[in-house]
Amino acid sequence: MYKVLDVAFSKLIKLLTIFSLLLLAFVVVFIFRESVVFFKEVSVLSFISGRSWNPLLAADNLGIFNIILGTLYVSLVAIILALPIGVGMALLLAGYVEGRVRAIIRGIIDILAGIPSVVYGFIGLLVLVKWFETRLDLSSGESVLAGGILLAVMVLPYVISTCHESMEKAYRRHAPSSQALGVSRSYLLREIVLPESRRAIIAATVLALGRAMGETMAVMMVIGNAPIPPTLLGKCQTIPSLIALEMGMAEVGSLHYHSLFASGLVLMAVLLAINLVFYFVRRSAFMK
Amino acid sequence: MKRWGIMFSCLLLVLVIAVTGCAGTDSSGSAGNADPANQESVAFKAQMTFNGSSTLAPVMSAIATDFIEEYGTWDKVDPSFPEQNIAIYVSAGGSGAGVKAALEGTSDFGMLAREIKDEEKEKLGEMVDFRIGIDALTISVNPDNPLSKVTDDLTTEEVKKIFAGEYKYWDEVDSSLPHREIVVVIRDLGGGAHEVFQKAVMGDTQVRADAIQSPSMGALVAKVIENKDAIGYASFGMVNQNEGKLVPMKVDGVEPTTENIVSGDYKISRPLIVVKKGELSPEQKAFMDVVTSDVGAQIIEKMGFVPVR
Repeated sequence: MYKVLDVAFSKLIKLLTIFSLLLLAFVVVFIFRESVVFFKEVSVLSFISGRSWNPLLAADNLGIFNIILGTLYVSLVAIILALPIGVGMALLLAGYVEGRVRAIIRGIIDILAGIPSVVYGFIGLLVLVKWFETRLDLSSGESVLAGGILLAVMVLPYVISTCHESMEKAYRRHAPSSQALGVSRSYLLREIVLPESRRAIIAATVLALGRAMGETMAVMMVIGNAPIPPTLLGKCQTIPSLIALEMGMAEVGSLHYHSLFASGLVLMAVLLAINLVFYFVRRSAFMK
Repeated sequence: MKRWGIMFSCLLLVLVIAVTGCAGTDSSGSAGNADPANQESVAFKAQMTFNGSSTLAPVMSAIATDFIEEYGTWDKVDPSFPEQNIAIYVSAGGSGAGVKAALEGTSDFGMLAREIKDEEKEKLGEMVDFRIGIDALTISVNPDNPLSKVTDDLTTEEVKKIFAGEYKYWDEVDSSLPHREIVVVIRDLGGGAHEVFQKAVMGDTQVRADAIQSPSMGALVAKVIENKDAIGYASFGMVNQNEGKLVPMKVDGVEPTTENIVSGDYKISRPLIVVKKGELSPEQKAFMDVVTSDVGAQIIEKMGFVPVR
């Protein structure tokens, strides 16, 4: 009888797994079908390489090259800012603080992850953008850098918690022997814990990059949403903010409407490509 | 034994599917049966949903709150209605989404802050629409902008050149102004507000590509209030709500006032429309009567728009 229950349970779990896979497939197929309508009118190449985006004009003005660049630029700035801080923070948590202090710091970081993105966006708009305008004397503070700084704060908790776990394990494993050898703690962290956690650091980078590229609300409020070639202190547009900004107003079934689905498809493709690249990098980094 | 287990589980699966399948048909069957019996309650909907323009949503929401507070249950509105709690839900998603919701029936009413396009009228077929007010877009600048001290009037041509990027610095508009870059703030290009501006001011000229596209009218106004080099088309309602924090300019000598907007002299304006596919039910009519009454007009005015009577 128990065997029967066992089998039934395993079948049920399989069924649920298939169901969730089907859900994912449904989303992909839906977005794909909506974009195909668009790609019948405009070729994939001219959509991706097109330099101007203006839904009011003819179809050949729907190009998202600048917007893809903007998405990548903002996310990269965020990663470059967040990775050193996050890895450093994880090292600190693994090696230097213990007990209550560590629990408190971890708690604060978790709270950081729980703040809604609109709140970040609002703070970004009123503090960060304003600061750019008054201190850096920019005519308008909306910029790639503002978006990058904001995103860096938002992805920081993910970087820290992903790195922290494996670093703590590595530290525990090697702490007794390094103490016996009389090696300093910072040497242990730098030379053993850090290299041993490279897999976790890569995983954190992928996770943070995915999160950064998909973030919509906070970014939309501080980048100015102008589809021009992005520069560090200039305005830009990202794919999620483009979709959020224009989907509400786009007439259902129009070319503009389908072009927004198409840009969603492009974003998914870019994310998939990045994940694949990191997957192979991670494997090779782990093999040696 | 193992084979038995597999067979049993297969049987179980088939059974599960059969049972759930049955449940599906069963529920639809019972709904079918209940239809004639529940005719009255099906015809009467205590719930009403609005979706669409983010400009109109707070207005409808305010009128709905007032309506619910005054009556509470439907039988107080009209004795012939059953005693059910009034529920009116208002959500914002843009004018396009409003038409879509009305079209697909995901909400009872669609709210638009622009004219209904001909192709949309075609898709809607039989419909009822209410023109409940007008929202005007004012060309507004920050009070600290020296422009507001030099002049309070811009010509359409000047506005056009500023938004198109032909004037890049303020001293090109007037030589006494400082040499600072003009920050143009607009709503998203495909949106209702921009469409009104494009038609009334820009014509075939395009707005400069590096203009800041704000996700909402609130964000646009906030930007103009925060940045002293900014210029944007803030809605009349928003300007009234933030009096003193931003300065609306005259366009071609016409001041954006209630009289000028209603008379049509001030041309950068857009209608606020509520649309319903098909016909109104009695309870929907009861609510829309309140919206179009003096009570509704007062609320519309209080929210900073110009009611149409």
